[in-house]
Amino acid sequence: MNVLELREVSVSFDGFLALNDLNLQLAPGELRAVIGPNGAGKTTFLDVITGKVKPTRGDVLFRGRSIVGQSEHRISRLGIGRKFQAPRVFQNLSPRRNLELAIKGDHGPATLLFGSLSASQRDRVQQLLGVVGLEPHAGQPAGGLSHGQKQWLEIAMLLAQDPDLLLVDEPVAGLSDEETDRTAELLKQLAGDHTVLVIEHDMDFIRNLDCPVTVLHEGHVLCEGSMDAVQSDHRVIEVYLGVDDPEVQSVETIA
Amino acid sequence: MADLFSSRGLRRWLPWLLLVAAGLILPVLLPPFRLNLLGRFLSLGIVALGIDLIWGFTGMLSLGQGIFFALGGYALGMYLQLDSLEPGQLPEFFSLYGVTTLPGFWQPFNSPLFTFFAIWVIPALVAGVLGYLVFRNRIKGVYFSILTQAALLVFFNFFNGQQKLINGTNGLKTDTARIFGALVGSDAMQRNLFWLTLALVVLSWLLCRWLTSGRFGDALVAIRDDEPRLRFTGYNPTAYKTLVFAVAGAMAGVSGALYTVQSGIISPQFMAVPFSIEMVIWVAVGGRGTLIGAVLGAVVINYAKSLVSEQLPETWLFIQGGLFLLVVTALPDGIVGWWRAGGPGRIQAMVGWPPVAPTYPALDLDPQVLAEQRQLESRPLSAGSASATTPQQPPAGEP
Repeated sequence: MNVLELREVSVSFDGFLALNDLNLQLAPGELRAVIGPNGAGKTTFLDVITGKVKPTRGDVLFRGRSIVGQSEHRISRLGIGRKFQAPRVFQNLSPRRNLELAIKGDHGPATLLFGSLSASQRDRVQQLLGVVGLEPHAGQPAGGLSHGQKQWLEIAMLLAQDPDLLLVDEPVAGLSDEETDRTAELLKQLAGDHTVLVIEHDMDFIRNLDCPVTVLHEGHVLCEGSMDAVQSDHRVIEVYLGVDDPEVQSVETIA
Repeated sequence: MADLFSSRGLRRWLPWLLLVAAGLILPVLLPPFRLNLLGRFLSLGIVALGIDLIWGFTGMLSLGQGIFFALGGYALGMYLQLDSLEPGQLPEFFSLYGVTTLPGFWQPFNSPLFTFFAIWVIPALVAGVLGYLVFRNRIKGVYFSILTQAALLVFFNFFNGQQKLINGTNGLKTDTARIFGALVGSDAMQRNLFWLTLALVVLSWLLCRWLTSGRFGDALVAIRDDEPRLRFTGYNPTAYKTLVFAVAGAMAGVSGALYTVQSGIISPQFMAVPFSIEMVIWVAVGGRGTLIGAVLGAVVINYAKSLVSEQLPETWLFIQGGLFLLVVTALPDGIVGWWRAGGPGRIQAMVGWPPVAPTYPALDLDPQVLAEQRQLESRPLSAGSASATTPQQPPAGEP
């Protein structure tokens, strides 16, 4: 059974089709990259999966069950985690407290008020702070962190949630080359135990991920395949460049 | 003992010592009139604490706390009306409107136990239901503020028009009523009420502190800063917001009841629009998200208001407006926020007496480094300052 399946999903904003008959399947443990030019509907695609936007038509299945119409927090509790395009961490809370909020467990008011973190949860927070190298900053407000540190903190928050499906929106925007490589390593490690879907513009990073690529264009899937196959597909070249120029052999020359 | 006088120990205990001292000394020091005023303003600190909880921490600006404040006041007012009657009598105002039997909803207020709970449970329930409906529909920000103010107007107009039920615009007088056999307006009873208010302010503060520290408090701050993000982390903000709004409602109810018995009357004026806005100003001036700032703001502004109004009655509104402008433009975190951000040091520097700034804060302010520095300074010079300051340096010439 597929972890995630989108069946002919369409989203219309006042007549504008942000998603148009989108079909997509993700197998358990798969790592998948999604690319597409600006306005291709990548973010709307994540909004539909996480419950922020309701599809006008079509169905979204998570582990075989429809999740259309469920609220964001319920979908999150089912095991779908999301990292946002611009890092969205809680600026006034320290990295440790950010992680303690995100950590897997009951997120009801009574638990937060009367319960305390279990030893294993606390260990996990400590471990994650180590993984993303934020131990020295664990106690200061996250608003003071650098852009890259916030990106990593948000990835750590995603890991703390321990979702089955990770939706990662532009994880390496604004990161240094070394950090980008480390992020690619991390995501490759996560695949297998988790299903990971990455949206990114950085072609080198996606090549580094070494995984199947889905190209979105005008709200539907243009083509799927390996990075090499996708990059030499003439339709992909056309949507990225606007013309089908026979001189251009691959998207690589654009990036 | 050493710990008690160390700066950390002092900081920890001094506020409590001052509080107990104030509770014991003020009733002796202040004339009954002033003590009564202070008690009233302290009781307003409780509603302000609730506003800080929902606004300062959770980001919900309610302009309708007067609803819950007045509900608490009416609950106690109704009990006091009934409690001072001979059997078979009705509160006096009923005869003015030709009412001969006690309306049904008055009946439970014969019971002191019921009233004790009604003061805070009824406002909490009303706030909870109102809040749930609003929050479930994801109404927030300025729309939430407008909605709470509209609700306030609805309640105000309803209470104002119900002569036959609760004496309408005239309200219920409490100072000539008796509670446990003593006159509510008497000096001795007012002193007791002052102590009760002081205790309840402390209790409310502790409750708010408990709610805002720890993971629950973090979740509130997260709702304030980025509510959608928290949803995607598996939280249902509606539950959290409804809960704190109900808690703030309960606190407003307690505050209203204490204010009523200390001012001698409860009337629909407590639900007037300006009064609920003033509550927000107290919190803004004292400092949002600081808790103690809310109490401070409520007491200081109201005391200033009564002092100014005694001398120059027409100037107060200008002063209050100016104060709000000052806070919005110059002190966004209020007095307490400004204090905590090192405001007094900046004033010092302005008058040409700058505090010593640490060169390397992490090092210079490290308690261990400071302790060693003191140790070195206290050593007699004869011990050899060179060897004391550079103990690791090996003697020259040694292989």
